[in-house]
Amino acid sequence: MTLLKVEDLHTHFISRDLDNQICIAKALNGVSFSLEAGRVLGIVGETGAGKSLTAQSIVGLLRPPAKIVAGSVRFEGRELTDMPDAELNRIRGNNIAMVVQNPRTSLDPLTRVGDQLVRLHQIHSGGPKTASHKRALEMMEAVGLPDPESRAKSWPHELSGGMAQRVLLAMALMNSPKLLIADEPTTGLDVTVQAQILDLLRSLVARFDMATLIITHDLGVVAHFCNDIAVMFGGSIVETGSVRDVFAAPAHPYTRNLIAATPERFQMGRAKALGGQPPDLYNLPSGCVLQSRCAYATELCQTTVRNAEVAEGHFALCHYAGRLEEQPAVKINA
Amino acid sequence: MTFQRFLLRRALMVIPLMIGVVFITFMLVRIGGLDPVGRLAGPTATQAEFDSIRNNLGLDQPLWKQFSIYLGNVVRGDLGESWLSNRSVLTDIKERAVISLELLFWGVGIGALVGVPVGLRAAFRPNGRFDQFTRVLSLFGFSIPTYWLALVMIFVFFYLLGWSPPAIGRMSLLVTPPDMITGSYLIDGVLTARWDAARSAASQLILPVICLAIVSAAPIIKQTRAIAIEVLSSDTVRYAHACGLPERNVRKLVLRNSAVPILTYIGTEVTGLVGTMSLIEYVFAWGGLGQYGLNAIISGDFTAVQGYVLVLAVFSVLVFIVIDFVVYLIEPRSELS
Repeated sequence: MTLLKVEDLHTHFISRDLDNQICIAKALNGVSFSLEAGRVLGIVGETGAGKSLTAQSIVGLLRPPAKIVAGSVRFEGRELTDMPDAELNRIRGNNIAMVVQNPRTSLDPLTRVGDQLVRLHQIHSGGPKTASHKRALEMMEAVGLPDPESRAKSWPHELSGGMAQRVLLAMALMNSPKLLIADEPTTGLDVTVQAQILDLLRSLVARFDMATLIITHDLGVVAHFCNDIAVMFGGSIVETGSVRDVFAAPAHPYTRNLIAATPERFQMGRAKALGGQPPDLYNLPSGCVLQSRCAYATELCQTTVRNAEVAEGHFALCHYAGRLEEQPAVKINA
Repeated sequence: MTFQRFLLRRALMVIPLMIGVVFITFMLVRIGGLDPVGRLAGPTATQAEFDSIRNNLGLDQPLWKQFSIYLGNVVRGDLGESWLSNRSVLTDIKERAVISLELLFWGVGIGALVGVPVGLRAAFRPNGRFDQFTRVLSLFGFSIPTYWLALVMIFVFFYLLGWSPPAIGRMSLLVTPPDMITGSYLIDGVLTARWDAARSAASQLILPVICLAIVSAAPIIKQTRAIAIEVLSSDTVRYAHACGLPERNVRKLVLRNSAVPILTYIGTEVTGLVGTMSLIEYVFAWGGLGQYGLNAIISGDFTAVQGYVLVLAVFSVLVFIVIDFVVYLIEPRSELS
């Protein structure tokens, strides 16, 4: 059975402007993907593409004015979008664990690290406190925190960014989740620490057999880490497929530009910057969201786009998917 | 740092502050244009009597000399004598301090007990009906003049409804005060099992306490709401939701993380409320420190004014030391400094 199935998810920011007119920012426009047990899916895209919002929509962490207006999120066959908070709370932190991007400010500053781990285990799994405590020490060991006994007595403000991120990973592992959502888990960390955390994450995913959704803007992370990739732009997933297929033969102009714009290619002198503004979410164009930035755009692109399957399991949201020329699509101005 | 060293450092830091306070009040009362001599001498006094009073009070000396004598006395713990009553200022203040502290304790205590939960509840649903309702209420509390509120309360609850005793002080004239132990009629009445006295003291306390509670609760509601809203939008709370913490635990988390700024705010409010206290005590003929200070200012009783301001400054410092220590106990990131 599919572990997580997101179908046609629409999340809007609904607010009122100074004239009391309703303003709608269409931040997610029909996001669909699915994740099988044991797979690792990477969601990439530029800032404002809706990556984090997708994660928050899945676990019901949206805050007003953000609101899911249509679509469904099914986890183990259960619909999450209309689930009451109390029931959702039994899934969050338990079957679905999250690792967030600001570990130091996310931990409760007034509770010792070990007590936070124990509390999380007590809330979801119950059982004797000593067992929770033992598990907390095991998990701290598993995420590579030296001397778990004394680390458990630390306050969050005494941890470095990398250590805090390891603590968050330990928090995520406490209740043996089936799905791990890592929302830019290495953004605020040093490059060397980033590599350590990613290696750790990879080994933990394999060891604890969790399906993992990793959100990043770093294609290198996806390439080394994930089985599948979903490229987001303007609140839509523009291309999905296995990492191997997508990197070998990107079918969407945006993916092509994104891959062409990696720093390695810059150094080889073969790439041009990925230019242009993200689309105005208050006023999305009809048809393809990329049309103003796309070198291939024609009148056809102003009509509704359907997902085209370019190879088995490899989809692209483009009228010209599979029919593009070899060269990367470049159109800098927008 | 140990607690003793913290106290010692604080005390050392306070000394220059206190000298400054003494200096400023000393000079301010003297350049304020008040002439206590004329008041003491009366309308029929001769010039010779004037001069002798002036000489007795030492007001004919140069200012710097007056100040150095006064400072020397203060250092030895002598705040001088009131020029009007010839009683020791320190004794007067000691007697009245307890009376005022009792009122302040109940007023701010009830203000905080009401204000903090109300502010929290408003914060959990910003712009909800409860929030809008309490916003109007706290606006009232902010803008009503204290003495007017006190007068209206006396008018309504004593004159119109007859629910409360007349505002003639801390105890009904028909009840003998209990033996003095702490100075608070309510506590002394309970301690000596004089239930009639305790009851009378309590019923006299109700109106001024409510008055002070209203005045102190309004800003507490507003501050608590603002603080809690900030905590609610923090990464910590978002992550707590992501971990599936039940609503009850999240609220506890919000409360704990708001506690330090709320406490600090209440501390500053307490020190700011002493001015309000004067007016409330005056209207209710309370006879506490606030009324004493107000009378001293009006009648130009220099030593009493100086003593009053100095004691208030010491009180503020004590309040902040207590707040710092409480914050140190609940906040692991803080250090005693």
